[in-house]
Amino acid sequence: MKGYRKYFTTKLVWFLTTFVFAFLLNFILPRLMPGDPVAVITQRVTQGMTSQSGAQAVYEQYAEQFGTNKPLWEQFARYMANVVRGDFGVSFSQYPRPVAQILGASIGWTIALQFPAIIVGWLIGNTLGALAAYLKGGFDKVVMPVSIFISNFPAFGMAVILLVVFGVNLRWFPTSGGYGFDLIPSASWGFVWSVIVHYQLPFWSVVLISIGGQAIGMRSMAIYELNADYVKYARFMGIKDWKIIGYVFRNAMLPQITGLALSIGTMVGGALVAEIIFSYPGLGYTILNGVIGQDYPLISAATLIITVMVLIANFAIEIIYGLIDPRIKAAQAD
Amino acid sequence: MINTLRQIFRSGKFVAGFSIFAAILLGSLIYPLIIRDAPLTIIGQGTFFPPGIYVSVYDSVGATTTYTLDIDDAAVNRIASRFNEEDRLAVKEWLVAAGIPEAEIDTADTEKLLAQWETNFDSTKRIPGMTNAKRNYYIRLNSSIDGLLSSEGLVIAAKNAETGALEQIDTIEQSDYVNVTEVANVRVLPLGTDNFGRDMLTELVAATRVSLSIGFIAGTVATLIGLTLGLLAGYIGGWLDDIIMFVTNLFTVIPSFVLLILISFSIGQEQRGAFTVAVVIGFTSWVWTARAVRAQVVSLRNRDHVNLSKLSGHSIVYIILNDILPYIASYVVMALILQISSGILAEAGLSILGLGPKTTEVPTLGLMMNWARIYQADIQGRWWAYLPVLVTIASVAFSMNLMNTGLDQVFNPALRD
Amino acid sequence: MGKVILEVKELTTKYITRFREDVYAVDHVSLKVEEGKSLGIAGESGCGKSTLALSLMGYYFPPLYYTSGDIIIDGRNISGMDPDDVRRSILGKEIAYIPQAAMNALNPTQKVIHFVEDVIQAHNPKATKKEIYELARERFHVLGLPEEVLHKYPVELSGGMKQRTVIAVSVILGPKVLIADEPSSALDVTSQKMVIKMLRGLMESGMIKSMIFITHELPLLYNVTDHIMVMYAGQIVEHGAAQEAVFDPLHPYAKGLMGSIIVPEEGLRGHKLTAIPGVPPNLKKPPSGCRFAERCKYVKPECKGAAVAIREASNGRTYRCIFTESELRETYQNGA
Repeated sequence: MKGYRKYFTTKLVWFLTTFVFAFLLNFILPRLMPGDPVAVITQRVTQGMTSQSGAQAVYEQYAEQFGTNKPLWEQFARYMANVVRGDFGVSFSQYPRPVAQILGASIGWTIALQFPAIIVGWLIGNTLGALAAYLKGGFDKVVMPVSIFISNFPAFGMAVILLVVFGVNLRWFPTSGGYGFDLIPSASWGFVWSVIVHYQLPFWSVVLISIGGQAIGMRSMAIYELNADYVKYARFMGIKDWKIIGYVFRNAMLPQITGLALSIGTMVGGALVAEIIFSYPGLGYTILNGVIGQDYPLISAATLIITVMVLIANFAIEIIYGLIDPRIKAAQAD
Repeated sequence: MINTLRQIFRSGKFVAGFSIFAAILLGSLIYPLIIRDAPLTIIGQGTFFPPGIYVSVYDSVGATTTYTLDIDDAAVNRIASRFNEEDRLAVKEWLVAAGIPEAEIDTADTEKLLAQWETNFDSTKRIPGMTNAKRNYYIRLNSSIDGLLSSEGLVIAAKNAETGALEQIDTIEQSDYVNVTEVANVRVLPLGTDNFGRDMLTELVAATRVSLSIGFIAGTVATLIGLTLGLLAGYIGGWLDDIIMFVTNLFTVIPSFVLLILISFSIGQEQRGAFTVAVVIGFTSWVWTARAVRAQVVSLRNRDHVNLSKLSGHSIVYIILNDILPYIASYVVMALILQISSGILAEAGLSILGLGPKTTEVPTLGLMMNWARIYQADIQGRWWAYLPVLVTIASVAFSMNLMNTGLDQVFNPALRD
Repeated sequence: MGKVILEVKELTTKYITRFREDVYAVDHVSLKVEEGKSLGIAGESGCGKSTLALSLMGYYFPPLYYTSGDIIIDGRNISGMDPDDVRRSILGKEIAYIPQAAMNALNPTQKVIHFVEDVIQAHNPKATKKEIYELARERFHVLGLPEEVLHKYPVELSGGMKQRTVIAVSVILGPKVLIADEPSSALDVTSQKMVIKMLRGLMESGMIKSMIFITHELPLLYNVTDHIMVMYAGQIVEHGAAQEAVFDPLHPYAKGLMGSIIVPEEGLRGHKLTAIPGVPPNLKKPPSGCRFAERCKYVKPECKGAAVAIREASNGRTYRCIFTESELRETYQNGA
């Protein structure tokens, strides 16, 4: 247990450090851009605004919010304090709704969509990869090229194809939104059913995006493990094949868990774009609206939230990995 | 060197990938030499014209020579095209609603069906439950099938410049034909037009070229940064290694796509040219190259030939150039190929979010995808507005990955199956 | 003469290469191991000794294939048996195997006791966890391994400990034959000694009935085994009691092999160290006559003619050479 505690502590320290740097990047990147960010933003926001005093008021509001008249460290402290309180300012495009409220409404959709989809995609991808490694021959020859192709297929492309085939041509599922536009969110069966139906296409497009890369990775890991010495020894001790396959796939699966941790950021990026294709009311769609509305506070907060979510997911995966792979504990105990 | 190339071109996967890529690249370079239209010229007054050969109606009518062809099934074809199965069913539906017994309606008997329609249709009549759109459809259908069975020609009339009265100048018989090659204005739109009425194919070719260069710039920037950091961290080591690895690990977990969004948004629409976007993509995607190069350099650092070079008093630059780089060159090339491909995909993703290059100058594959999305080409079934773009993006990415797999098998024989 | 535990008659097995060529790595090999005795198999790497070990177990999977011959364990012929039956009723129970690469022979993510459970339950599905644990604890105790090892993952064990654990697990069902394939070559000297001591202990305590020990280290063979067999290019070239095979080899190859190592035994000290020049023949196209002819110091034109048969010598020894025992002794006298 001592080894694991050490592993946990290292990971936690690393996680917190990354956390701080993520905040810092989110804070500093927009401020690194040339010119007075407040002036640029004000100019963008006030496009078409005729009243000079109105523009001036907007400018002052942002100068106050950014605190650009204060030293950088104070700006950062203020920013951190606001973020910790959950205060991300007021949205430009949906004035006067607070950003926190807008994000609060969309974050649930994104988590409910992406978390299960990435897990399911990971499971299916790994199963396919493992089967390809074990069965070889025809199965492998079909699964591998398809996986390579899918893993190169852009996320939005997958979403568009699903939308056209299943939404437009076959009319099995609706093509946009998180629930029927004529419904009001409630706990009724009608609403829940509508949510389930609307969930399918975005869900499967994220699943499909995640399958390819995982299948390829799992296949090569499993091939490596199948040739390992312990497989031969177990055979020579008379152990049955299905049991040995169990050993092999457990061992091949373990590095795939870290693989998931490393690729989760990319997957989330793809999934955000998939949300947009289906006008799914999650963070991706919120970002799109933020871009259209030139809504700086909304974009800044949304990117920060996504980063933090990815970091937490990453941390959770590493912690679970440390628990189930005994090699981690042994390595730390040395 | 030549030997290596020969070996590479013996790998089936590489050759397949290379052929696809070369075809796309050559196509995007040669096409503009033949078709010199500016890619963003708007020619269509309307959105999403389907692919096909567009023949000027005016020029056809005024063609100097017309030919008479007696073709047996001409009338059948005309009826089939203007009064198809769907229309017949709609007519039947209307007639049933108007009170004609269903047994008396035969959708296969064109003549009888049209006669029934003519005697019964009344555009002012309201049928319960019929939507406005459906009603308009019936009105359109009525005028389209009017005179469908007539064998008379059409009369062409022109305004008399003096009296202003219409005067017959010509008649067009049903058996009159023009030869398309003799019509003055014919425009081939193999992929139709987009939502703005621009020639899709010309636009797609230009977009492919721009996207490839974005990918190339992004890939080069990412590879250069990754290579430099990887070499420094791996070869010099110590605290420099620690710092570089810290930063690298940091950017491994912070999703690069999110950084891209933040930076692109901060730059602002006006400043975002294709080149800027490419450089930004490059700046956010060097992480994997840096990691991998470092790992390779660390394993090379204490090889005998490197030690020998150190003992001979060569400078660090000399050693890196002569004793390290040649050994990781194959790897760096592979990383570059992957970076180019992912740069193209990153641009497309950004554009879908509305954070792509500004839209007024050049098209990119991502921008085309975004326009198609905004104008709902997918939902409206305008496949030519997005499918060719998707196929192009996927083919470029797939071909590059194939090349990479091929190279990998040549340079790491253990992976060969 | 004791009871014969393992008898192999004219066993031939082959590899089929990717290019569909047959490589006969074990070529008409016959041997016998009696109860309480151990047999050593020596030879250069690639001579077929490891393949012989695999072939003896009667369990073949590509690219290794059975061609002909008999393997009889305790009166039961297993050579014609279905591979699945071999695996269920022979491997681990009748014949156990200690692999060459014992370092990685245990699944890294499974506790030792769980592997022991899998091994025992593969042959006796009714065994309860408690019984298995009792048995494992007792065996580990007898073999001088700490009980905690059972609760550890292989990654937590040192190299020597891993090797001894593999041996203990291999013999847990009390096999009639134990095949040890270079069990100590990757270990440091201390661990090597422990392993050898352990193997000897297994024989003495009767936990296993017989043993086949494969190595390229001859001094080790002399220390551990009763009989020694020397293989060259898939064939047996010398077979006899350990003492004679080491100190008085008949076949020129065995002679060369014994001369090419340092044996820290009285009487051999001061001998000049000699190496055998040349490389073994390509088994895809073995030479028609004596397979050692190309490298033999005493080669005669007739050596390269027809295939060479096994000859019997005094004391029940056998060897594969066209010369008689006395002719060979004479040649060696003159040569030395």
